[in-house]
Amino acid sequence: MRPPARLSRTACSAGRAAGALALLAALGRAGPVLAATLVIHVQTPDGHALSGAVVTARPLDGQGRRPAPVHAVMDQVNRAFAPDLLVVPVGSTVAFPNSDSISHQIYSFSAAKRFQLPLYHGKPYPPVQFDQTGVVTLGCNIHDEMLAYLLVTDAPYFGRTDAQGAWSADVVRGRYQVTIWHPRLRESAADLERELTVGDADRADLTLHLLKSLQPAPIADRPHSWDY
Amino acid sequence: MPTLSRGASMITLLAMAVTGRAADWQMSLDTRLVTSDAGRSFMDGGLGTTRFDRNDSGVQLGRARLALSAPLGELWSVHLDASLWDDKDRSPVGVTEAYLQFRPYPRAGYRLRVKAGAFYPPISLENRAAGWESPYTLSYSAINTWLGVEVRTIGLEAQLDWLGTRTGHDFDLGLTAGAFRWNEGAGVVLASNGFMLHDRQTPVFARVGPPGGAEPFQQFDRRTGVYAGVEGRYLDRVVLRVLRYDNRADPTQIDTVSGAIAWATRFNSAGLRVESSTGWTGILQWLDGETIIAPPGVQLVWPFRAQFALLSKRFGRQTLSARYDRFEVNTNIPDGDGWQVGHAWTAAWLFDADAHWRLALEWLRVRSYSYYRTEFGGPPRATETQLQLAVRYAFGSGVR
Repeated sequence: MRPPARLSRTACSAGRAAGALALLAALGRAGPVLAATLVIHVQTPDGHALSGAVVTARPLDGQGRRPAPVHAVMDQVNRAFAPDLLVVPVGSTVAFPNSDSISHQIYSFSAAKRFQLPLYHGKPYPPVQFDQTGVVTLGCNIHDEMLAYLLVTDAPYFGRTDAQGAWSADVVRGRYQVTIWHPRLRESAADLERELTVGDADRADLTLHLLKSLQPAPIADRPHSWDY
Repeated sequence: MPTLSRGASMITLLAMAVTGRAADWQMSLDTRLVTSDAGRSFMDGGLGTTRFDRNDSGVQLGRARLALSAPLGELWSVHLDASLWDDKDRSPVGVTEAYLQFRPYPRAGYRLRVKAGAFYPPISLENRAAGWESPYTLSYSAINTWLGVEVRTIGLEAQLDWLGTRTGHDFDLGLTAGAFRWNEGAGVVLASNGFMLHDRQTPVFARVGPPGGAEPFQQFDRRTGVYAGVEGRYLDRVVLRVLRYDNRADPTQIDTVSGAIAWATRFNSAGLRVESSTGWTGILQWLDGETIIAPPGVQLVWPFRAQFALLSKRFGRQTLSARYDRFEVNTNIPDGDGWQVGHAWTAAWLFDADAHWRLALEWLRVRSYSYYRTEFGGPPRATETQLQLAVRYAFGSGVR
């Protein structure tokens, strides 16, 4: 675990920091809430930034809130799921509207949610609720090549790494369990769990290195009409 | 058999009416500009190894095709593929595949698929595009040309897949088993013409070539043929298939009505396809088997084997492919009746201008030795070259 980095930049903006501290002190009177920025960097074994990795941060000190459920949408466009990965808080609902002119039959046999959903054109189905945490792998029973993932989480802080392989969130100071996940991960997500304390500094950084390289990405431009 | 074609069309229309859901349909028209120096085509009863012979140079109809897929409730669907080739076809429209499919939702990592009707057994790694066409070349490899001419499952097939890639693994595994009838004629074209390289599939219950030509889809010995295969996949990059086929025909049987003989045909096949994210595809296929007839007092055996290697590279909407084929038909007949050996080079450029238009240019050269050519009074050796320019227009609900 790396100590919080880039203290020098924090020092340069000491004036602004002082203002912010005053504001935080004011907030502090209402409760022990002191925010800092948590920055997670994810790198491949050869040191390249990994974009698109899912990061979750779960407080270990019990001061965390559960994330509020949302209503999300995973569409079917041109025989593909759009988006092909969604992270939703536990209890959320996801709609599968099917914007294609052809039928789909969405299914999952993942432990976190088993369901089957025929999507015929112009015949809307009610959204599906996801009330267990875990990874839900989605497929289409008609189009074998269609593949997407839902990550259902109870962590209050979650998101995906950007093009620089970084994800950040303003979090309450304290101890956190950080996990990362990626659809093409070849190692157990449990092996990539880390604990981290967001202490007195304004910012806490953590860099996570994958131990094994990812599975290669699916071949992108293969015509849909081909047999796979 | 036009009744089958009518029947399948009726089933499809009925499916649409009953379920109230539109069928997915597709039509395409493929025309060719051909120049060829090949010997007379099999479609005219000749021993040429290509589809078009030296009398076919000029404009030709490649294929006119109609395909329909319609759901029958949630788990069943019906599929029909009908084609029209040219006037040599003599039956105006032929059905190459027509089947019902049962497709329950995958459970606990396993997926079951059952087909009933007429369809191709899962052997070719090349004929992966709609209509059992190759997305690499116009003419299929010697192995897959033969499958297109003489082999079809008219029966049942079950496939069970373990979906490892959907459960965190790098590979999938599949088992296939099929049981069929109406394929007692399979083998007669190999024994009488040998291997060829073309894209003229034989419609179900149709005849190969002119009147008196082979009829691969016959049944009169009341025996059921079987095949069983294994498939392994590494992610979406590598496919390995092995299959054993045996039509279990009784080679002593002769149809009292038509005089047709049952051809006992069995073979092993294996194939490997490797694809990369940079647009490269490599395919290897291997076929080894024999076909036997045993009219009273004699047993005639034609062992056959063929292999090909294909290398293809996609550049955006263009595909460049090269393929090398080797093939051989042997015989136990002392004078060499039916012996054929040869090899072929195919080079093709395909350009998918958009979802509707495709342009293709293919050069094919086949060098072969065929004993039968001497019976026609010619030299046994031939080098045949065929050049085709193809323009295909496709439209339909699934074409965008």
